[in-house]
Amino acid sequence: MGKIQDLKNTILVQLFKHLPWLAERWARGHRFVEGQGIPWAPLGKPLRESCIAMVTTAGVHLTSQPPFDMEDPDGDATFRAFPAAADKSDLTITHKYYDHSAADRDINVVLPIDRLRELQEEGFIGRIAPTLYSFMGHIDGPHLQTLMEETAPEVAERLLREGAEAVVLTPA
Amino acid sequence: MGLIQRIIEQRKIPTIGITLQKEVTMTVKPPRALFLRYPFGHPLGEAFHVRQQRTILVDALTGLETIREPGTILTPGYVWRRHVFD
Repeated sequence: MGKIQDLKNTILVQLFKHLPWLAERWARGHRFVEGQGIPWAPLGKPLRESCIAMVTTAGVHLTSQPPFDMEDPDGDATFRAFPAAADKSDLTITHKYYDHSAADRDINVVLPIDRLRELQEEGFIGRIAPTLYSFMGHIDGPHLQTLMEETAPEVAERLLREGAEAVVLTPA
Repeated sequence: MGLIQRIIEQRKIPTIGITLQKEVTMTVKPPRALFLRYPFGHPLGEAFHVRQQRTILVDALTGLETIREPGTILTPGYVWRRHVFD
């Protein structure tokens, strides 16, 4: 992407952050995939006995993993998986479509891993699922199909295999 | 994010998503959501604000137990940088 495009993007990111009404207006003009019906799965047992997983679309990944593709204007439908026990200092964020300066200082702003660990220690939840999953939440065009037919179902399958009994999702 | 959430729920794992965009959430229709009128990049609030982050996460987790109606969007109404989290 050219420098002018990058500059335009940087300005938009700050405008959307500080002027929520502008973001809402943008969203009204943007075409989102409208849900048909609402899927539903009840929680099978109390939270204090349940295995909780987290999925974020904030572009988090291990520093050792390849970053999300920032060059494609339609985004990147791939995901990154990393251990829930990962050291926070090994995590980073690749995402230029939101201001992640706060999350860079404290990852809990977008992925509350410390808070979830505390709730596990207190017995509020049963346990934490072994793997965290992360997408980059700026997916459009042909990548939407990849997300819906390939990568999101793969993450769902992995979560099921790993014993996740409920999932909290966090955006950017 | 709601699309991913719907796909996970379709595999029979209950989900709740935090959202900063209510209108988008109402269009995509995930099964459970917690809406905050917070700026982009701050779904759990402010950096190092442990009580705020914890309250929002507990609200979301509790929604997994309490929400009975598919499509419910919880709206705790915390005002950005003004709400006092005890």
